[in-house]
Amino acid sequence: MSDQSADIAQRHDWGSARFQSNLARRRRNEKILAAFGLGAIAMAFLVLAILLWTLISGGAQAFRQTHVAIEVPVSAEWVDPADPAKGNYRNVIRDAMQTTFPDADPSELRALSGILSNAAQFVVRDKVVADPSLIGQTVSIDVPTSDPYDQLNKGNVDTQSAENTRRLSDADIAAFQQLKDQDRISLPINWALFTNADSRFPELAGLKGAIVGSAYALLICFLISFPLGIGAAIYLEEFAPKNKLSDIIEVNINNLAAVPSVVFGLLALAVFLGWFGMPRSAPLVGGLTLGIMTLPTIIIATRAALKAVPPSIREAALGVGASKQQVVFGHVLPLAMPGILTGTIIGLAQALGETAPLLLIGMNAFVTAAPATPFDASTALPTQIFIWADSPERGFVSRTSAAILVLLGFLVVMNAVAIWLRNRFERRW
Amino acid sequence: MTGIAFALLLTAALTGYMMNRRAALALRDGGQRLHSVGMFHGLYAVLAVVVPSVVVILLWLMLQAPVINAMVMSGLPAGTLDGLDSGARQLAQAEIQSIAGGRIFGSPESWKLDAAERLNSLRGLSGWLMVAVVALVVAAGLWLTRRSVAPQFRARQAVERIVLGLMIFCSVIAVFVTVGIVLSLVFESIRFFQMVPITEFLFGTRWEPQIPIRADQIAADGAFGWLPVLLGTLVITFVAIVISVPVGLMSAIYLNEFASPRFRAVAKPMLEILAGIPTVVYGFFAILTVAPAIRAWGAALGIPVAPNTALAAGGVMAIMLIPFISSFADDALSAVPRSLRDGSMALGATRSETMLKVLFPAAVPGIVGGVLLAISRAIGETMIVVMAAGLIAKMTINPLDSVTTVTVQIVTLLIGDTEFDSPKTLAAFALGLMLFILTLLINIVALRVVRKYRELYD
Amino acid sequence: MYDTTRREGAVTQDDIKIQARKVQVFYGDKQALKDVDVDILDKTVTAFIGPSGCGKSTFLRCINRMNDTIPIARVEGEILLDNENVYDRRVDPVQLRAKVGMVFQKPNPFPKSIYDNVAYGPRIHGLARNRAELDGIVEGALRGAALWNEVKDRLTEPGTGLSGGQQQRLCIARAVATSPEVLLMDEPCSALDPIATAQVEDLIEELRTQFSVVIVTHSMQQAARVSQKTAFFHLGNLVEYGDTDDIFTKPKDSRTEAYISGRIG
Repeated sequence: MSDQSADIAQRHDWGSARFQSNLARRRRNEKILAAFGLGAIAMAFLVLAILLWTLISGGAQAFRQTHVAIEVPVSAEWVDPADPAKGNYRNVIRDAMQTTFPDADPSELRALSGILSNAAQFVVRDKVVADPSLIGQTVSIDVPTSDPYDQLNKGNVDTQSAENTRRLSDADIAAFQQLKDQDRISLPINWALFTNADSRFPELAGLKGAIVGSAYALLICFLISFPLGIGAAIYLEEFAPKNKLSDIIEVNINNLAAVPSVVFGLLALAVFLGWFGMPRSAPLVGGLTLGIMTLPTIIIATRAALKAVPPSIREAALGVGASKQQVVFGHVLPLAMPGILTGTIIGLAQALGETAPLLLIGMNAFVTAAPATPFDASTALPTQIFIWADSPERGFVSRTSAAILVLLGFLVVMNAVAIWLRNRFERRW
Repeated sequence: MTGIAFALLLTAALTGYMMNRRAALALRDGGQRLHSVGMFHGLYAVLAVVVPSVVVILLWLMLQAPVINAMVMSGLPAGTLDGLDSGARQLAQAEIQSIAGGRIFGSPESWKLDAAERLNSLRGLSGWLMVAVVALVVAAGLWLTRRSVAPQFRARQAVERIVLGLMIFCSVIAVFVTVGIVLSLVFESIRFFQMVPITEFLFGTRWEPQIPIRADQIAADGAFGWLPVLLGTLVITFVAIVISVPVGLMSAIYLNEFASPRFRAVAKPMLEILAGIPTVVYGFFAILTVAPAIRAWGAALGIPVAPNTALAAGGVMAIMLIPFISSFADDALSAVPRSLRDGSMALGATRSETMLKVLFPAAVPGIVGGVLLAISRAIGETMIVVMAAGLIAKMTINPLDSVTTVTVQIVTLLIGDTEFDSPKTLAAFALGLMLFILTLLINIVALRVVRKYRELYD
Repeated sequence: MYDTTRREGAVTQDDIKIQARKVQVFYGDKQALKDVDVDILDKTVTAFIGPSGCGKSTFLRCINRMNDTIPIARVEGEILLDNENVYDRRVDPVQLRAKVGMVFQKPNPFPKSIYDNVAYGPRIHGLARNRAELDGIVEGALRGAALWNEVKDRLTEPGTGLSGGQQQRLCIARAVATSPEVLLMDEPCSALDPIATAQVEDLIEELRTQFSVVIVTHSMQQAARVSQKTAFFHLGNLVEYGDTDDIFTKPKDSRTEAYISGRIG
């Protein structure tokens, strides 16, 4: 043990210039690394901020819709009292514009009618059908304006630009200004965004169909993945013998969780639509597809939750003579439930935002009514976003952002519930 | 009908439970010792009723549509379908179905109206038949289980055996899904390779699938060489990884070593938000904000930038991957034992030296696993590229150019109405098979690396 | 085995390596160490003993400011190393730790080669001007840790492949490679078998000729075997400090007496 060399006994002069400059350099490097790290995080946050700002600033406008209030004289000339549903309401609206703009000549009236949304004639029709005595009288309606005027009212049209570069002529703008001066223009909250289904006209397009479709799909997804996932997880975690088969199942589930979502869409297209002949665009098929996609997520979350229950609980219950299943279903599962539910909600939130597989089974159809059953053709929230993002009208850009905000709102609520569950019931053993 | 069947089933289950439990309790009150408590006799009845009848209902629902369709089509007057190719047959079938659903367009031939009527009557019949069969199954279950109630009957064991069987079934479903994916992809791909030689698909450098629509067009004009599509996928993946890995790693390093606990508690969930945003939102962000910005920069610098530049799609994909890589790297760094960190600090290493010379090298296997999973995600990511990448396949590696990806092609080939016998549709399945194999290989390697790493420090 | 030749009462100011003055440590709101005053001598083995949670390791970690790496830890008072307060604002803990080496409870070699493990400290502190100098330092440190003969032919193999006792000596070599003046050992033998423990104890005896060694130990026998001075900690207080012989044969405090006779602990 006497093989020391002199090296380790030698004292260094730590105060020397050499060590001091070395130390300064090292401290500088440390700061640089920290700055890079902070910069990376700041960059991620900046992108998040830009993303949210883009969506909120773009989408906020869509939560309001320009309306115009006018009086519509319902002339018997256009509407037959015997069959009010079949009347020529287009002409009724034209009359209304004539009353509102007495100076307009017939050629201008056509353009003026365009201020009103296409829905105006149907609003009048519905009123007249409900009460045929209105024929010959004047009906007051408050209807959305068409998209170009909505944009004008929201200040998105540069009135100073060259006339041929915008959709509204100077005359259109003047006419709209006249309505505004008559105090006919209002900007109420756009409830139609939630009460209407999709439409070709941005001012009428809403998310009801997509929300109902997503709700059906999510319900079916839950019905499929929750029981199957819990059953599989309990078996694998508590009962499965440790052999090759359970190894294969385990590896298989982990890999399944990482399979690209579009592949599940191909599976659904080939099996559900191709072999079983299920209906296209139906939330049923969407829910089935999302269900098998969510299955691995729930299995993995459930197994983690079961693992977190300490063995002492199992041993205690087994010790008083309960069977293995009584232990699992009576003691372990209830304790693991908060964790399982948290994982399930997070899995469902992922499923709610999933788009690609739904495109392949046709849930991007143009459907103007909310589905009554899970078997009817429908869209879902993310596919509706995809459809609107593809639409050229200016009004759809802000509606897409609004739809995204609605989707993000649902996701925030779901994740908040999951976090609340975790904090409320999580136990540290 | 399905509703009635389920109602029947629930009532029967409830009845069975009450009946058997009461019978068992009566035996006990009569002074006999029961092997199992009454509840299990009841549960046994419930399971005996529910399991077989749910199987019957599900099988019925799955099989009735194809069976009825086949019956309707074969019941058509002889000779109606002669000379029609499979596409026209499918069209006729679809028309009959829409007539049956009450959506009549124009004035269809009378045989179609007849067939539609037959379809509707068969559907009604099938519904009643199902209810009848379920009723039979339910009755049999009730009768058999009621007879089984006896003091020595081991109801608990019987119930537990059934429950165990159900759980095994649940676990096997996951395997079925994988098998289903593989079978459906392989099956449709084989049909595709019967039309397009597999060598042409694997090694061809032209991808022009949009050509053959009508029979008189020359199908040979369509080209199905997937290499340019694969190359486009790799270009976008490369862009995404090159951006996201350094940013993700740097944020993980900062969060793990430098951040105060309070900063960490705020910053980690904020990053997770990025991971939770649906990809369709990122796609919209790419076309609305990122692509125009990149184009504007390109114009300012005098560089030609394609409208659907790979840079925009890849860049936005990178945003999505940053939290993924960051949290994976953070976990991997946290898994390095604290003793190594202490050892390094105690030798007078600065935090950056400890991080770069000890912790990071020790965590590299775990981080590599995470990066591989991120690559697999980038390859399989669909919505961002569908919205922001191009449609035309080009043999280029220029990220400023417009490229297409495997997932974009799958979606564009299958969007809208699809027939299962055109090479255009089937090509999507061949691409899907390639995508599945590619990502599966990466995932297997990644999961193995990660598993090995976890074992290293457990 | 311990040195009985050192005479009592001969301590001069020059022999004192470390002076602790009113050292208090808080973890959050909890006080872990209360008003510790102690003088630790140069070229002496000082043992810290006491029941778990008594603050002995906490105090050890104050000397090289390892507590700085725990965000909630707060240290008050002063610790003078060669009459310079290590908690002075001008002292960089990075350089302090090069002067005050530390060995941990569990051997923690880096997942690198044996050579790189030992060269880690010298490299980051820039102690060697060239490869030959670095080789010399590594060899010297390994010799100092009595490991050279066992590993000189496999310096490129990973340090994690050594046996437990070898790993701990590698960690000692790694610590002495920066030529520290004080060597802190936090229960260095608790994870080792008896043979490896004996080797490390022999090594500590060797190291005393060059460093001031402070060792935290659970084992009173070990404290008696290796140390000349012993400090007994109890519930965050330094109860008694003195020559090892005195502590174990005629303790002044009843708590010390209770501990060494096995009644508390």
